[in-house]
Amino acid sequence: MIKVEHLTKRYEHTTAVDDLDFEVRPGVVTGFLGPNGSGKSTTMRVILGLDHPTKGRALVKGKPYAQLRDPLHEVGALLDAKAIHPGRTARNHLRALAASNRIPYSRVDDVLEFAGIASVANKKVGNFSLGMSQRLGIAGALLGDPEVLLFDEPVNGLDPEGIRWIRDFFRSLANEGRTVFVSSHLMSEMAVSADQIIVIGRGKFITQGSIDTLTATAKGTVFVRASDHARLERALTDHEALVTDANDEGLTVSNLSAEEVGKIAFDAGIVVFELTPQRASLEDVFMDLTSDAVEYGSSGVRRES
Amino acid sequence: MSPNVSLASIVRSEWLKFRSVRSSIMGVTITFVLTIGLGALVTSLLRAHWATASESSKLTFDPVSTSLVGVIFAQFAIGVIGALFITSEYSSGSIRTTLAAVPHRVELVLGKLTVLLVSMFVISEVACFATFILGQSIFSGVVPTASLSNSNDLRAVILAGVYLTLAAAMACGIGLILRHSAASISVFVSVILVIPLIFAFLPQSWQNDGAKYLPSELGHAMTSASSVANDFSAWTALILMVIYVVVIVGIGTALFARRDA
Repeated sequence: MIKVEHLTKRYEHTTAVDDLDFEVRPGVVTGFLGPNGSGKSTTMRVILGLDHPTKGRALVKGKPYAQLRDPLHEVGALLDAKAIHPGRTARNHLRALAASNRIPYSRVDDVLEFAGIASVANKKVGNFSLGMSQRLGIAGALLGDPEVLLFDEPVNGLDPEGIRWIRDFFRSLANEGRTVFVSSHLMSEMAVSADQIIVIGRGKFITQGSIDTLTATAKGTVFVRASDHARLERALTDHEALVTDANDEGLTVSNLSAEEVGKIAFDAGIVVFELTPQRASLEDVFMDLTSDAVEYGSSGVRRES
Repeated sequence: MSPNVSLASIVRSEWLKFRSVRSSIMGVTITFVLTIGLGALVTSLLRAHWATASESSKLTFDPVSTSLVGVIFAQFAIGVIGALFITSEYSSGSIRTTLAAVPHRVELVLGKLTVLLVSMFVISEVACFATFILGQSIFSGVVPTASLSNSNDLRAVILAGVYLTLAAAMACGIGLILRHSAASISVFVSVILVIPLIFAFLPQSWQNDGAKYLPSELGHAMTSASSVANDFSAWTALILMVIYVVVIVGIGTALFARRDA
């Protein structure tokens, strides 16, 4: 279990994490979602005791990371897949990790096999593709058979087969009762791989919940194509509907259900050709939630932080 | 301290890390080549030109420090090994993986230092004894020779290896403070090579009183069989060198424990 309590992390001029407060429970895959630069990696570094918090604290199984009795047996983490000495072989990298926590070398061969990189175990890590490095990082996280697992953007660089493999793998880890905490900047990825989602932006907590509750709270729209768009628009606005888009193709209504739009059209004697509820996509929800919190917007101008 | 992570397990891990990268193997090879190779070259040249050497140079001739001349060059190779011992973790980013496995930072430094000191001590002593024995055998018959049965000569050879070991530890401490390979190596080279050059431009009295505190001068005192003018005695030099290393590594460790990785 991971507990982040009023965590604030300030670097010289920027506040990377601002009063974050959340809990990650065992038995489910928890997604940690936010745009690039929103403080996900910083939060994970503080959880792992790598960076010291400015205020607040992060606990793993009730303790600060530095006080864990058996770090690799308790927590497995993949932060940056490329952060490995390039001149060392995959096997030697894992053996050095294993040796520090008295994990038998036979376990190294097991996790290499599991991660699907046993055939390149004696190759230098510097020649690995990003996907292979991710697999090596995952192998490293599994070395101590830990109860808590943290992965920072693990899908980056994986091929479709690898992405499917890693999703199933997260699911099976959670089903075994482990705590699985996975960060991503891709809502669509989280939608298929996570049960619970914590959303942050600019270092601040935005929301938390299951995928379904998050999409339910988002506003859907209704698209309607009818015999007389002008009259339908008047009828709808009389019922205080919000018509967000009107053209020859049809109308888009943002605050009524399809049933309500159908009834209004029927009462006004307008023939409806098409009536389509348009559910907000997960991307829409995410954009909606984080629109105020994008550190590097596509306007090309970095906002003041 | 946890039951599974201990100084012994850290040492085992760090030793595996040290011997599994090529830069270590190359650094050690260069240390041998510089120490023994340059020793053989210089002693051979001296032997060849001994007949024509001046009486005064024959009078001040020290067969011990002459055969150990390669140490002056080997200290740079060994300094690079010492600095990279910690800075390569920063340049590759692997320091985060290391600290996630061993979050006990002071113990981690102790483990790393143990591996560095023991391996460098063994390598340096082997190189110093080899160059001494080789050098004396080249001198033999033509040039006056020294012998390990002489306690001062033996002390000079042993302390030459100790000096190299301490130089590696000093570079490692600089690496802990600066966390950057190129910067750490530059500072180390400056301390050993550049500051003595600056001293040469200072008034003679300053040189006489101050230069003896420089690490390179301490090394000179430690590797000479007889006492050197204006230098500390070999044992005082050793103590001072140890103090330098303890202070630099101590500052580095304190920063390492406090800073974000």
